[in-house]
Amino acid sequence: MATPVNPADINPRQVANKSDKKALLDAIRMTLSVQSPAVRRNTQTFNRNRYAATALLPDYNELKDRARQIKEKAIANLPELLRQLEASVRANGGHFYLAKTAADADQYIRDVLLRHEVKLVVKGKSITSEETKLNHALEAAGITVAETDLAEFILQVADEQPSHIIAPALHYSRERITALFKRKFNTDLPLDTGEELTVFAREKLRQQFIAADAGISGANLIAADSGSLMLVESEGNIRMTMTLPPLHIALAGIEKVVPSRTDFGTFIELLPRSGTGQPLTSYVSILHPPLKAPSFAAPGKETKPREFHLVLIDNGRSRMREDTVLHEALYCIRCSACMNCCANFETVGGHAFGGETYSGGIGGSWEAGTGTLMNARFSDLCTGCSRCVTQCPVRIDIPWLNENLRQRMNFEQPSSAAKSAFAAMTGSAQEDRVAPLQKQFFANYHVMANEATRFSSLSNVITSLPLVRGLMENVVGLDRRRKLPPFPPKTWEQLYRGRPSGEQARAAKSGSPDVLMFADVFTNYGSPERGMAAIRVLREVGVNVELSDSLPDGRAAISQGMIATARQQANALAKVLLPYLEKGTVVCVLEPSVLAMFRSDYEHLLDPATWEKFARASFLEPLQLVLSIAKDQGLDLSQVFRASKSPHGMRIFYHSHCQQRSCDAAWQTIEILGACGFDVVTSSVECCGMAGSFGYKREYYELSMAVGEDLFGQVRAAEQDGPRTLVASGTSCHEQLWAGMGREVLHPAELLVSTLG
Amino acid sequence: MHQATAQSSRIEEFTAAAIQAVATVQVIDRSPAALCSAILQAVGDASRVLYAPPQELPAILFSQFAADPRVRANATPDEMVNSAAGVTEAFAAVASTGSVCIDTSFEGTGIVSLMAPLQVAVVAAESIVPQPRDLFRADVLDGRGLKRDFVFVTGPSATADMGPLVRGVHGPHKLHIIVLR
Repeated sequence: MATPVNPADINPRQVANKSDKKALLDAIRMTLSVQSPAVRRNTQTFNRNRYAATALLPDYNELKDRARQIKEKAIANLPELLRQLEASVRANGGHFYLAKTAADADQYIRDVLLRHEVKLVVKGKSITSEETKLNHALEAAGITVAETDLAEFILQVADEQPSHIIAPALHYSRERITALFKRKFNTDLPLDTGEELTVFAREKLRQQFIAADAGISGANLIAADSGSLMLVESEGNIRMTMTLPPLHIALAGIEKVVPSRTDFGTFIELLPRSGTGQPLTSYVSILHPPLKAPSFAAPGKETKPREFHLVLIDNGRSRMREDTVLHEALYCIRCSACMNCCANFETVGGHAFGGETYSGGIGGSWEAGTGTLMNARFSDLCTGCSRCVTQCPVRIDIPWLNENLRQRMNFEQPSSAAKSAFAAMTGSAQEDRVAPLQKQFFANYHVMANEATRFSSLSNVITSLPLVRGLMENVVGLDRRRKLPPFPPKTWEQLYRGRPSGEQARAAKSGSPDVLMFADVFTNYGSPERGMAAIRVLREVGVNVELSDSLPDGRAAISQGMIATARQQANALAKVLLPYLEKGTVVCVLEPSVLAMFRSDYEHLLDPATWEKFARASFLEPLQLVLSIAKDQGLDLSQVFRASKSPHGMRIFYHSHCQQRSCDAAWQTIEILGACGFDVVTSSVECCGMAGSFGYKREYYELSMAVGEDLFGQVRAAEQDGPRTLVASGTSCHEQLWAGMGREVLHPAELLVSTLG
Repeated sequence: MHQATAQSSRIEEFTAAAIQAVATVQVIDRSPAALCSAILQAVGDASRVLYAPPQELPAILFSQFAADPRVRANATPDEMVNSAAGVTEAFAAVASTGSVCIDTSFEGTGIVSLMAPLQVAVVAAESIVPQPRDLFRADVLDGRGLKRDFVFVTGPSATADMGPLVRGVHGPHKLHIIVLR
């Protein structure tokens, strides 16, 4: 391997296109070394503000449903809407151009500007123009382009691609902007505060606004019925771009079209709140250009008549629309919520978790849709944690899009025959056997774990040998710095069935428990003692519970993009669970990532009739069930589980699992621990950074630990006045906390059992 | 009586939200003298004040203010980009967000409400609607929001692009709202 260059010397542009995996890895190193503090601060501020702002909307969920319906209908009727829009724009006195490709759009805009002898054009923020690389096309024709959004201004000065869809330069700290401006403008002016930098840029740009012959903007939404545009901003530069010069060109993707201006009413409530977390940004413009008011004439110049061009680009979007999976990405309203609530994005930003134009969880679909599939390679950084699914104002299932991209990339770069043979041994579905060895390995965790636990003490010795770890790192990419949790001597199934009490035997025999505890493979092979504790807790509150057989559920496979394998496993498992579901048996699932499979991912994997039965069934995290029983029966949990009796003490730090929160199944645990008398501090991070296999992979180990640092920091802060017992609900979270804090982590059920003496 | 209570609680909600968005709000009686004094107080010692005459509110309300020698109703381009304050009416306002809605299809309103460091907006209390979405309903304010070109203005212009939050970027640095009771 070549000597790695200093990550700080890597130019973001050089690693924008990540179809070569090395670019992705270099970009991760660069962003971790240079950009991470600014990205973290800015995205996490947006994230907190979004939670606060959406909580104030009493009908937030209804608005999201309506937004989704509007977009579904709009994309379904897009050809008709485009015809209607063209007629509306022409009736308003504007021009309409539908560009097939990015180059078409650039050529049209360049020709309009040249026809008007435009020398200087001011631009409002348009990420679509980054997609078409418009500035290069115009500059090549001798037209000066002034980016007037301060973030775009920074990027133009630095010659970098955007790192975020609404704040394209949020990877820049104030200090780095100062250094950049001093270097590029060779100035001695004091530029050491946000105000000074803003005044400096404003004064430069004010002259450009006054002198400009034309303005180019984007558009957040376009209404087919009236040719109306909606534009959201805070600086006032977009208003100036559209108001001052006589010639206004708006450039947008065809997916921005909605049927009616009345639809703006739904999106105006959701878009700013989901983006910056403000009820509204400073300026939201609604207009159907050309404006009726006369344009501004610079002192000494004549006022010219106004002219407006709406340029819509296809550039792959029609192909996305036909795509059974990717069409969902066209519902995106580009608010950035999916980026701001993504732990990986918060840590590296869009220069690592992004391509040449688009970034974050949704960015892979956009890069693949408007470019080529392998441009979406950065979507590997989506761990499928599902936090974004709950935060997307149009409810896009972003992990599902990325799992599909992963599957297609597996097909695009098929593995060797030897690897396929390995895949066949592990039981991967025929079509998934082309996936890389690392993916086969992690997707079939249960096969490896089953073998390993049969001879656990030997396995644990072998897997701790440096030579073996080296081999594992080289062959399947399992990072050797990651300490492997030991394989237990007995699986959950063996613990449960090996020593059946009379009661258990009866329950097993009857085959009709009130509650079926699902023996997920992660708990079964990794931490059976947690599983046993959960069963004990349920029994303490009087639940007649039985453990299922342990079967793979598809989570590990789907996370590797091995969708066919996941589908096989889901269908096999459904056969086992259906008799219980049909009887109305509640199914408890300890591992939240598996709970999320049953609650939502299975919609993609099961036939509609079977999914219908899953959707109607009751899948619960065990402590969810405990709380609802306690409430139904008026049970005082503090009398059942007395915190004061726990040998672990009463001071707790609790971290819930990302998917547990997405399933709305975390607050119940916190409520129970509090009710039992524990003093609980909870984490506020979106994800621990481990995310199943992600943190084990050699190429992502540093990133995973950097993400984890937020969580570890919160533990340290909570322990300033004394130590706390670490408690977490997910298998991955246990492993990450164990790695980061170097001590034991309990499951909430184990903590509760510890109070029983 | 009910209507009056509803209106005053809507003014209160609007005022709180506007202050949250870092605007200043003044609620005054509806008279030429009161409006003139409120605007002149807001613009302070500005040597020149841009002014776009109203299309909705009666012009007579602004008559005393418009007679002030510093006021320019038909500014030259040079004056447009070199004045300390700009005064327009707002045809609507939004209680939940503290926004004022400025019609930008009339001569001058777009520029007058945008180019000067201080923006003053005058709005009638009965034009305050509960939520932004109400501007896109045919049965609110006679559906005016569905027909016009306008801008929701919420606080002064702002940016976080230079690191910390800075108020006063390309657009106004301050927003003063006068609500006519």
